[in-house]
Amino acid sequence: MVSAIYILAVGLGTAFLLGLLRDDWRAGAYGVSLAALALMSLISAGWVWVMAAGDGRAVEILTAGTLPPYAINLRMGLAEAVLTLLINLTGLLSAVYLRDTLFKQGRRALATLLVFTMAACGIVLTRDLFNLFVFFELVAIATGGLVLLSRDQRALAAGFKYLVASQVITVLLLVGIIFAYHATGTLNIDGMAELSARVLQGGALAFFLMFIAIVLDLKPFPANGWALDIYESAHPAFSAMLSAASASAALFAADKLLLIGGPTWLPVATGIGIFGFVGANLFALAQTNDRRLLGYSSVAQVGLVLAVLGQRDLLGDRYLFIAGGILLAHAVAKAGLYWLSGLIEGRELKAWSALQGHPILIFAFASFIALLVGLPPFPGFYAKWELVIALAGEGRLALLGLILFGALLEAGYLFRWFGQALKRERSLEPVAASSFKRAVILSAVAAGWGLGYIWGALSPNGNLLLAVPLLFALVFLALEPLSVRVKNSVAIVGMVAWFLLTLPSYDPLQLIFAAVMLLGGALVLLASYQTQGRRIGFYPSAMLMYAGLAMLILAEDAFSFFAAWESLTIGSYFLILRGQRSEPHALSYMVFSLGGAFLILAGFALAAGGDPLFSLAGLAQVAAPIAPWVFLLLAIGFMTKTAAVGLHIWLPGAHAEAETDVSPMVSGILLKAGLFGLFVLLMAMGGQQLHGIELTHILLWIGALSALIGNLMAAFQEDAKRLLAYSSIGQMGYALFGLAMMNHLGWLMALMFVINHFIYKSMLFLSVGGIAKRTGTRDMYRMGGLITLMPLSFIAVLIGIIAMSGVPPLSGFGGRWIFYNAILTADYRLPMILIFISGPIAFLYLFRLIHTIFLGQLKDEHRRVKEAPFWLVLPQMIFVAFLMVFALVPGLALRRVDAYISQFHPEGALGWEGLTITSAFGYWSPISIMIVVGVIFASLFAWLLFVNRKAQKVKQFNIVFAGERPYRPETTHFAWNFFAPYRKALGFMTEPLVERFWAAVVDVLHASADLLRRLYTGNGQTYAIQLLAFVVVVYLLRTGL
Amino acid sequence: MSFEWIKIPYALLTLFIVANYGFLLTAVMAKIAARVGRRHGIPVWQNYVDLIKNYGLRSSITHGVMFYLGPVFRLTGGVGLLMFVPTIYGSEMFSNMSFAGDLILALYFVFFGSLGMALGAGESGHPHSAIGVTRGLSQVTAAELPFALAVYAVAVQYQTLSVTEIVAAQQGGILHWTLFTNPLAVAAAMLSFLGSMMRPPFDVVLAPQEIPIGPPTEYHSSYLALMQTNRAIFPIAKIVIYMNLFFGGAASWPVFFLKVFLIYLVSVIVGVVFPRFRVEQSIRWFLIWAVPLGVAAILLV
Repeated sequence: MVSAIYILAVGLGTAFLLGLLRDDWRAGAYGVSLAALALMSLISAGWVWVMAAGDGRAVEILTAGTLPPYAINLRMGLAEAVLTLLINLTGLLSAVYLRDTLFKQGRRALATLLVFTMAACGIVLTRDLFNLFVFFELVAIATGGLVLLSRDQRALAAGFKYLVASQVITVLLLVGIIFAYHATGTLNIDGMAELSARVLQGGALAFFLMFIAIVLDLKPFPANGWALDIYESAHPAFSAMLSAASASAALFAADKLLLIGGPTWLPVATGIGIFGFVGANLFALAQTNDRRLLGYSSVAQVGLVLAVLGQRDLLGDRYLFIAGGILLAHAVAKAGLYWLSGLIEGRELKAWSALQGHPILIFAFASFIALLVGLPPFPGFYAKWELVIALAGEGRLALLGLILFGALLEAGYLFRWFGQALKRERSLEPVAASSFKRAVILSAVAAGWGLGYIWGALSPNGNLLLAVPLLFALVFLALEPLSVRVKNSVAIVGMVAWFLLTLPSYDPLQLIFAAVMLLGGALVLLASYQTQGRRIGFYPSAMLMYAGLAMLILAEDAFSFFAAWESLTIGSYFLILRGQRSEPHALSYMVFSLGGAFLILAGFALAAGGDPLFSLAGLAQVAAPIAPWVFLLLAIGFMTKTAAVGLHIWLPGAHAEAETDVSPMVSGILLKAGLFGLFVLLMAMGGQQLHGIELTHILLWIGALSALIGNLMAAFQEDAKRLLAYSSIGQMGYALFGLAMMNHLGWLMALMFVINHFIYKSMLFLSVGGIAKRTGTRDMYRMGGLITLMPLSFIAVLIGIIAMSGVPPLSGFGGRWIFYNAILTADYRLPMILIFISGPIAFLYLFRLIHTIFLGQLKDEHRRVKEAPFWLVLPQMIFVAFLMVFALVPGLALRRVDAYISQFHPEGALGWEGLTITSAFGYWSPISIMIVVGVIFASLFAWLLFVNRKAQKVKQFNIVFAGERPYRPETTHFAWNFFAPYRKALGFMTEPLVERFWAAVVDVLHASADLLRRLYTGNGQTYAIQLLAFVVVVYLLRTGL
Repeated sequence: MSFEWIKIPYALLTLFIVANYGFLLTAVMAKIAARVGRRHGIPVWQNYVDLIKNYGLRSSITHGVMFYLGPVFRLTGGVGLLMFVPTIYGSEMFSNMSFAGDLILALYFVFFGSLGMALGAGESGHPHSAIGVTRGLSQVTAAELPFALAVYAVAVQYQTLSVTEIVAAQQGGILHWTLFTNPLAVAAAMLSFLGSMMRPPFDVVLAPQEIPIGPPTEYHSSYLALMQTNRAIFPIAKIVIYMNLFFGGAASWPVFFLKVFLIYLVSVIVGVVFPRFRVEQSIRWFLIWAVPLGVAAILLV
């Protein structure tokens, strides 16, 4: 293998060579430089190959023919190989990206770039302290030069501030090295590490100075104003190098120094790191400039890696996997984002809306954000999983909490940005068309996905990119050029095939969920046939969600469960974001969902006790005092998905603003994921007590309150889809209530709601969507009298509301019947009151839904409205048929589950003999009810037909109206503010307290970010003082004041 | 309990008896209320006259399918409710179709007729129909709550949801009635009962004097005849449930007639004494006065 020293030699040599070339020979100089960078990358890649294929033992490279400490030595190990590859590739790609600028600037700029890259590699490779210092100096000087490549006027000032700061750092580092050398007599890092005790005793200050200098080079929050100014004003290609290459090198240097510092200094690294991670992410919330925001994000990510470096005592041999996963994901994503920012003219976050219409760039943008946030299947995901498990295993819960909180903040502003880019009015400034630049960006995307694959292969938890459902979803990325019809058919066939394929492995409970999610999902997809064109982005998102759902049901260990959970969350986020006005709602969905997901992660981590392969069945073995906390974390996490009251504010907007065929997916199907999680949790852990409080009792109250608030809010909506959305909150409340009853029938009731809610809510969302499509509005008071024009939609809504209201003979009644039987054995009676009152309230909104849309007065502008499109009506009619069948023979679906639940709650199983279903308290015969009601109805109908056969159809306004004849439908259709008296009586319960609470939380975060970011004045002197103050504060804190 | 064909003629017999009793009873109640107000009132056979007149009317219009079906839904609701509850305790002959379901079936089937009626009236396009429905629905959410709590308390008390078994548990003397064994539940249920009888102070739903409001506005001739038949059957079907749950049921027709009369009379007595509440007032009234009784009932059972 080529010696690693050639990386340095090639870089430095070419830089010198460039000086010899003629100044106007630009192309040649550029070509030589690219070749050099390519060669450097190749050497690194060769070493990565060797290290990965071999035993991974590091190779020492001696210089001057002598052993250290008498000469400088370099070391090439796996970490070094990967990092130098990262640095060189970033340099190479940035050079390609910078082609035009470098052509203009000529060989000096090229030489500087080469020196920068070479020096960053040097920082990684060298094992000598003074040599390290030299490379740092080189990087600093090269940085100063490269900053000037930017067209931005502020770059000059930023470069100057940078030089001021780096001089302070240099002084600190140099003084530290001198004293350390004095204490140990060696400059070799490993040598000094062996004498660590001596350094730390006599030369504590010396080590501190070296350490703090390196840390300052990491641009730690908050002593980093100079760095942020550079990120903001430098050329994006250079910011990419600064963020990806130089930060990685500096982190590696910090890692080397920590060898000397040993365990006593690890907590300091963690402290500085985590403070930076949370703080920088907080500040980033207030940023509106894209590059500055990315700068904050870089600072935060570097902080996170530093915190991980400080945990190396804990992480053992997984240390490289975890730190590397986070670092590489950050580097690739950040470089990619900076490169991407170079294509966009404006610097406002909103200017990224220029990306609309460039699906490939949007895919790149999404991939980078997912990389940064650590979503599956990217390396950060695997790394964070192991990190969090390890932290929880050792009881470092505060750190764990801070990491998750910081990650949530980060996800918040990144996805806000993404939402703005996709949904704001498209910026008129074009996206730069350079194919070079795009190729560079796409190579970063490829690198990100490639790293995802590698990390998956290295993970003991298995490779997500080899999971069939996920692969199937990814295939749709390749199918994007095809038409909707083809893609839709492939999707439907795939989902049904996966269901059939996995059918034998489901237990009865899983079968119900699988049928709802996969077969039901396929059924809902029928509605997608009515869209035209290619519908870019829809199928990968939808299939990602379904893949997540499919994997969730079959997950056996906590990791697969969590990975599936995150996949379905991302997929559904993209789906929801597709709605026309869904930007804020999609964001709040994402933040709540990720918040919930992080709670689930924390819950699993607590339960796992350090075992990354923790199985779900293991939840049953978790003992007090951890068990109730695990229960609490998981339950709250799952309840974000079922939109339990308090965590529900994302739902109405998200479901209402989603596209017509997406609403049933995210309502009828997606919400069930939360219920599935709760089922899994309760089956494994049962009830738990915390400080003597039964936690399921609390769930009972939350379920009941959700039912009440959801129904009440639904009654006051004017928007039909919002009404249905609030109704979902209520319905999920019932299901949660059933689960929390912790008895046989309660669980059965929850399952009944799973099936019923899926059927009628999907059906209703499709009907309402079809109507909204035809009438051009979702406001119910603008509609009216549509029954004769849209009879099939009317039938669907009619059957839907009868079923949902629980009136016999349709299937909703079964749910109510089981509910009454279940509560007779429940331990708690008070929460029932809320359920009792929410039942009749459901009539309010259901009647409103059907009346104000279909009955009453037809509006003039709707006189020519046609029935909803065929493909929207077809699934509705299938749902109607299902509902009828399920109403007649609920045993078809419930009988086996009933037996299955007996494992957990042997008492209270139903009897399924003959036509009658019996419980310990009562009985119910669906078919008899249907026949009795049918016979009475038919007889009376026949009688009416007989006596009233000559009834005359009259015109619209032919009504008894106090002698007057109304002529305007608008003034005759009673629809707006339908339940005014009810609002007078109970309106106080619909005060948006929860929304205000969360708005206040967000406001506080934003306001503090906005206030504190003023710390960065833009003044170089202030920055230098901040730098010194940071040093002093860390020192004081370290030495205990 | 299962189906036999003979149940059909038996059920028709029950229906015949109850319908006729209902026609007479509602007229008598109207008469009583009139006499309290020093008016002469209608003759007791007035309902039969009205029925014949309504069927006899020749003019007949419709606003559409749901409009046409509204009264059918309405009467199906009344007849069905009667059929799902055993009328006479201990009589196989008058146990009707109660094999199809228990108390919960009856509770929820109450809404069947109202819902269908509301839909039918809605299609007429008359705003007063919609207003009447919103009032009725708003009020029922609060009025039903104490009853639901009482039913729950009773079901817990007797550990069954079967109406027959609940009645059986009350046999053996007047002191075995739920009225005496669980007075709180009965008190809550009876307050709720007032709310469901369309009489003052809870009759703003129909507002019969001021304007012809509510679902019946547009209906006439044979539609009205069906609805009128329901007006006779439905209250009795409902009172049968109350009688069975709280007042020991009825083991014979004379006892049945007496108990139904007396329970009905409660609402009439209250109705002639009190003026009318607005909807929001009645909601508050139920929540403040009736619901706590119900809550106490379920906590003390």
